[in-house]
Amino acid sequence: MPDKLYNLSQLQELAGGSDDFVNSMVETFLEYTPGQLDDMIKSYECGDLDQLGAIAHKIKPNIDLFAITNIYHQIRLVEEHGKNNINSPELESSLQEVSKVLQEVFKQLEQR
Amino acid sequence: MDGFKIFLVDDNDLYSKATKHHLSLNPDNEVITFGTGKDCIANLYTKPDLIFLDYSLPDLSGIEVLRKIKQSFSEIPVVIVSGQEDVSTAVELLKEGAYDYIVKDENASERMWKAANNVKENALLRDEIDRLREEVDHKYDFSNIKGNSPVLKRIYKLIEKAAMTNITVSITGETGTGKELVAKAIHYSSTNKQKHPLVAVNIAAIPNELLESELFGHEKGAFTGAVNKRIGKFEKANGGTIFLDEIGEMDLSLQAKLLRVLQEKEVTRIGSNTPVKINARVLVATHKNLAEEVKNGRFREDLYYRLLGLPIELPPLRERGNDVIILGKHFVDEFVKDNKMPKIQLTPEAQKKMLQYDWPGNVRELKAVMELSAVMCEDQKIDAEDINFTSTSNGLGDFISKEQTLKDYNLMIIQHFLDKYDRNVVDVARRLDIGKSTIYRMVKNKELEI
Repeated sequence: MPDKLYNLSQLQELAGGSDDFVNSMVETFLEYTPGQLDDMIKSYECGDLDQLGAIAHKIKPNIDLFAITNIYHQIRLVEEHGKNNINSPELESSLQEVSKVLQEVFKQLEQR
Repeated sequence: MDGFKIFLVDDNDLYSKATKHHLSLNPDNEVITFGTGKDCIANLYTKPDLIFLDYSLPDLSGIEVLRKIKQSFSEIPVVIVSGQEDVSTAVELLKEGAYDYIVKDENASERMWKAANNVKENALLRDEIDRLREEVDHKYDFSNIKGNSPVLKRIYKLIEKAAMTNITVSITGETGTGKELVAKAIHYSSTNKQKHPLVAVNIAAIPNELLESELFGHEKGAFTGAVNKRIGKFEKANGGTIFLDEIGEMDLSLQAKLLRVLQEKEVTRIGSNTPVKINARVLVATHKNLAEEVKNGRFREDLYYRLLGLPIELPPLRERGNDVIILGKHFVDEFVKDNKMPKIQLTPEAQKKMLQYDWPGNVRELKAVMELSAVMCEDQKIDAEDINFTSTSNGLGDFISKEQTLKDYNLMIIQHFLDKYDRNVVDVARRLDIGKSTIYRMVKNKELEI
């Protein structure tokens, strides 16, 4: 894994110079996203691809906001395949990649 | 404008929080967030200035929420913010009345910021337009046509009647009597016309060869020099009023085309075969006696009757008695107000001089004379000697400068009175204190026309 999987510059720009706001956004990200990731995996495991697509759709802007670019394409593939009910090997591998990267991001953000 | 209230409807807490913070960097913005479509709809009564609406909400779809908003509050701009880059969805939403469609990408916040600024700017412009419209309505309100004379009171009544309906109005009167002011008063007093344009065309000011294109428009390449398509004045006035000033100056061939437009209620641009429906109220004005022009073959009879509608004949200022004083004072007051000068009075001598004068240039001349007097006077008083008449077409000097024989002068005077008093020989003979047989004899000798 590379050193830093996220980039807060977009968030900092939105914050207009407020570090408190950036910190609060990181806290909110850490509060909600692990649960969303779990829900995605559970949905996939029980074959509820619609739900998988819907969660991926919701989580996608947050991944973009934190500039987690390593999974830019994978989260979109999960969303697309989920919505269209396409259970393919690419879906599984993309979901795995999303999960792996996000878990690393959670660790990195907690240690920042 | 007070605070700018923005509703942000998104169930993604993180995204919502980031966007709220960003939009709130402008202290004018008051951002209120909702996680569901129903919450947003329940709070519409607080009248937000703008709504950012996520397309995928947990309870209702973006299009459902949009429709509900537009049903009850069609004026509130709704910007759809969506994670989907789907052109057909965007087009559908825009057709449903969405103000804009923003994709949730790395530029979304910036675009939302710009959208908020655009909506704010449009709202300010709309306020400004409303304010200016009110100002214009007031400026041309017919109560601003000054005067108390019985003849003017009759004019007020006619303007009121004209404003209540869509009837064509023909306004006649000498130059400077205020024909355009009456046309504006009719347009701006017509409640159903206030948001539609008044398009004025001075027929005398446009060369004949350009007038057809000016009135009816042309297609690109219709004639040499037609490098672009052009919308004519009739089309521009659609839904509103077209004011054809100096209609008596219109060329006979164009009169036939105008008649057709009025009869068919449609115009065909030069170079086109496709007629365009028009619904414009027509006001015309002329200083000429159109009936006389018809008699002399210079104006089409059918067009004359088509345009006659409600005739309003504006009296010359010399027949409006004390109105000359009321108007004179009004013009002086306006002038000192515009120039931030102290108030100026009219002395009784000045008023007497004004009443004795013939005012051939009518109200326009009066305005010029009063403004000059206001500049020239001393001690905030306009006296008789401050009033200088500048007319170019009045006075004995002008009349006798033609150096004709006494008989010719007599004929000119009698003919003038005959023209003025509808060829009423008995009336003219009485007014000039001459025998009516004298006039009949001159007519018989073809020295006079009746």
